[in-house]
Amino acid sequence: MNGQTQLFPALMNIIHPDSTIQTMAGDPVSIARILDQLGISPDGVIVSRNGKLVPEDAVAGGDDEIRIIRIAHGG
Amino acid sequence: MGQGDTVTGGAGRCTCCAEPPVIRLKEPDRYLCAAHLIAEVEERAARTIRERGLVRPHDRIAVALSGGKDSTALLVILSRLLPAWEDASLVAITVDEGIAGYREDTIRAAQELTRKTGTEHVCVSFKDLAGDVLDALLVGRETQACSVCGILRRKALSAASHKAGATKIATGHNLDDEAQSVLMNTLRGDLSRLVRTSDADSSDCFIPRIKPLADIPEKEIAAYLFVQDMFPFLPECPYTRHALRAEVRSMLSAIEQKQPGTMRNLMNSKRVIEKQVGRRALSEPLRRCRQCGDPCSGELCQVCMLRQSLGK
Repeated sequence: MNGQTQLFPALMNIIHPDSTIQTMAGDPVSIARILDQLGISPDGVIVSRNGKLVPEDAVAGGDDEIRIIRIAHGG
Repeated sequence: MGQGDTVTGGAGRCTCCAEPPVIRLKEPDRYLCAAHLIAEVEERAARTIRERGLVRPHDRIAVALSGGKDSTALLVILSRLLPAWEDASLVAITVDEGIAGYREDTIRAAQELTRKTGTEHVCVSFKDLAGDVLDALLVGRETQACSVCGILRRKALSAASHKAGATKIATGHNLDDEAQSVLMNTLRGDLSRLVRTSDADSSDCFIPRIKPLADIPEKEIAAYLFVQDMFPFLPECPYTRHALRAEVRSMLSAIEQKQPGTMRNLMNSKRVIEKQVGRRALSEPLRRCRQCGDPCSGELCQVCMLRQSLGK
């Protein structure tokens, strides 16, 4: 910003269904692309961005917190 | 990033209003905000109930409540819709199979939900029905977990519903469950079960079962609960990995992703087969189990056959 180099680029936190946390570069990317990179089928999960549910073509980035919630429990 | 202003590849707003969307539906293609998703899911359940005549005035509906997401959504929806049906009442029934590290949490969730909705709640256990917990019954036969559990669970639910004076049993089967069942029965070549799994399936001997969520995709049910802070974050049943259903679910989900409408097409095929074949043409005449007297198709009912094989 203002011509200055950003020393600490933003990182997104990706919270997996098993609660493990992974960081990812904060460059803008769609939720669908994140799921694709992680090999997760969009039909088996819902995804929240900063606590709010979003469709898969929503874009995440910056220091967003992305939570992936598995929807099939069985039983 | 802010909610609502970062959606690309489609509308940045709900198709029905200016609120940020929470889900994209494909049939027809549209985006819905939380409020419109809730209205859509409840309206679709109401339509299924109306069009198939699932609930009548004075019905006492036993809701099979495991505490998982589908049965949670079912109880929430029925407790909201019910005032529309004169004098119909609800009783929630939870079956404790005895699955360590899994069922305790879901039972707690079920108890909390029935308190919130003000629903009468009954708990029954496999220990009472079969003399032991499921974990103990399955030692050495883990691969049969879903069959054994299914037989005992149906019996437990049916017995508790009779005792509670229920006139209908409602289960939380969603569109994905129903489509998976069609495919599984087709893969097994089990045509009689294929036409027997309908929500209208019943006879004078059984309490009729109804599936008000059968037209709603699993994902929409999960989203419906999440936007109301009601999604139950619970562990997965440890036995599901042994089930054919897990493989079918994954396969069908991948096909649905590429070809939206596949699950509905499967359900439509099933209805056509039902119509052409006729349910009665494939079902064996109803008899009484010579051991317990329950209605069944053979000499012994499935529960008594299971008890024999378990030495109980």
